Amino acid sequence: MVHRGRSHGYLPHTADAGLVARAPTLAGLFEEAALALAELAADNPGLEGAPVPAGPLNAGDLGGLAFAWLNELIGLAESAGQALVGATVTRLDRAGDGWIVEGRALLAPWGEAGLQGRRHVKAVTFHRLVVEEGRAGFALAAYVDL
Amino acid sequence: MAPRMGRGPAEPVRDMPADPGLTHVPPLPRARIPDAPVALEQVDEWRWRIPRDTRRGMRVDGLVFADERLMAHLRDDPALGQVANVATLPGIVGASLAMPDVHWGYGFPVGGVAATLADGGVISPGGIGFDINCGVRLLRCGLNRGDVTRVATRLADELFRAVPTGLGARGGRHLGPHELDGVFSAGAAWAVQRGLGSPEDLELTEELGEFAGTDPASVSERARQRGGDQLGTLGSGNHFLEVQAVDRVLDSDGARALALAMDQVVVLIHCGSRGLGHQVCTDHLAAMDRAAARYGIVLPDRQLACAPLGTPEADGYLAAMAAAANFAWANRQVISHAVRGVFGRIFGRDVGEDMRLVYDVSHNIAKMERHRVGGREIQLCVHRKGATRALPAGHPDVPARYRGVGQPVLIPGDMGRYSFVAVGAPGAMEQSFGSTCHGAGRDLSRHAASRELRGVDVAAELARQGITVRAQRPDLLAEEAALAYKDVVAVVEVAAGAGLIRPVARMRPLVVIKG
Repeated sequence: MVHRGRSHGYLPHTADAGLVARAPTLAGLFEEAALALAELAADNPGLEGAPVPAGPLNAGDLGGLAFAWLNELIGLAESAGQALVGATVTRLDRAGDGWIVEGRALLAPWGEAGLQGRRHVKAVTFHRLVVEEGRAGFALAAYVDL
Repeated sequence: MAPRMGRGPAEPVRDMPADPGLTHVPPLPRARIPDAPVALEQVDEWRWRIPRDTRRGMRVDGLVFADERLMAHLRDDPALGQVANVATLPGIVGASLAMPDVHWGYGFPVGGVAATLADGGVISPGGIGFDINCGVRLLRCGLNRGDVTRVATRLADELFRAVPTGLGARGGRHLGPHELDGVFSAGAAWAVQRGLGSPEDLELTEELGEFAGTDPASVSERARQRGGDQLGTLGSGNHFLEVQAVDRVLDSDGARALALAMDQVVVLIHCGSRGLGHQVCTDHLAAMDRAAARYGIVLPDRQLACAPLGTPEADGYLAAMAAAANFAWANRQVISHAVRGVFGRIFGRDVGEDMRLVYDVSHNIAKMERHRVGGREIQLCVHRKGATRALPAGHPDVPARYRGVGQPVLIPGDMGRYSFVAVGAPGAMEQSFGSTCHGAGRDLSRHAASRELRGVDVAAELARQGITVRAQRPDLLAEEAALAYKDVVAVVEVAAGAGLIRPVARMRPLVVIKG
């Protein structure tokens, strides 16, 4: 589905999965990647979720930032015993020699309105992790451990 | 050995479309793909070499344990490129190894083994994996197949109730900081001290169920939050609990030593350190990634992030890994207690109390071990990522009661076919740093398996085979169906042919609990 110029999808992997996200802006990219992650893990009937602070997180490059961001969302959800249904980015900027991101994870209780778990996402890996800028905006690809 | 079940070659994973249930988007952005195909030379019937001059930066050869049938599926698999990448790790010795169940992982392949110098080499958390001390435990009891098949439905239902599975599952107790520290330090003994097992269980667990060198302070608050409610839970994905029956004895001496007999009922438990271990790996991967430049380490795949042994990053990871490993051993101990309870309720208290541990072995771990390299015995850090330790008869680390035959090696297959129990053989010490395969190894991606089985009621198909299955998401059972996995018979044939193991018994599932 393409919405507001954003899109996401998935890549096959023998035991795990890859995700791809595209968006016109970096903040939008990180939100779209979070949505891709959420849809991989759960069948969401349309819940919007409750916001939980995520970050601030720092990294030296955008790949490291994406690693930190997506893993933060995974950790927040599992710590709360809830499902990740999305995320919003409130800040994504250069910080010194690196980058900083801050936002909110959107969480919903398992079972609410039929929210079901699909796959247990253990972590996002560094394997083939890419954040790139192109003519149409930004793209992110990452593989997750299921 | 039974003949290999025929299947065509697996589809090249990279050419496959995205999950049919989810949105397809334009192809992957142009990216450095570090695990492209490599050159291969066949060494003999069971081994293939990836020469060290295949790829820049390789410090040793790659060595893949496979026969021609398995290699036909592997040739274009990114796993072989990953074997070559692992060969670039600083301080790696011998060869970068791939067990016969090898498949595409991230950084390390799944089924990868690499040994680095304790003095001058590195530790790489990806060489252990996110699920630290994911492993397998085998229990035996005095029942036979007929005893179980008569009550299979009730047994499946009660096991499914007694052992929490799936996403969001919580164990019976929330562990506070002090209790978690106790688990980190004592491992399986923590559970035994609370009446959830016996000292014999510890004797028959790798490392006696307790890894030394833990430091609770090295485990982050986030890891504690993720794992605090999860002790005693199975997890999901390819984790399982299976009630099986021995359907073939392959080595009578080995079977006698392990107290296994034809038609005997056993229980196989596959799980690990849950969210706690996953977070430990994430935390320390990030730390090592940040530190890489400082140590002058350049790697072909960022997921191979590592640090020289003896540095703060390496020490911190090893201490946290040990803590997470102990959590996993405690987890399997608590689950075992629950299983014994169910068997006691259904078959009588004596049956439950008399359910004995055969062995518990890890397949995602790093251990400091002494091995002979170039005629000298040296201390190495042996990474096993989807690989099992396999010590031969006479080795001092084999439990006394098994020292005459070798360390038990537990090799789960898929839920529709077989699992095996074997013992370590001398060839493992000579060729693979005392290591062997850990299972069947995946052959198809999850969505490829789902696509192949669209419209098929996998649970009903298993029931027709006499296998009763329970799962949180029966509609997703296709992802774990037999066709998604290599034939474990073929994998065991290679491991045995290469001299890594000696197969002892084959088991067939009767009841399967999936997350």
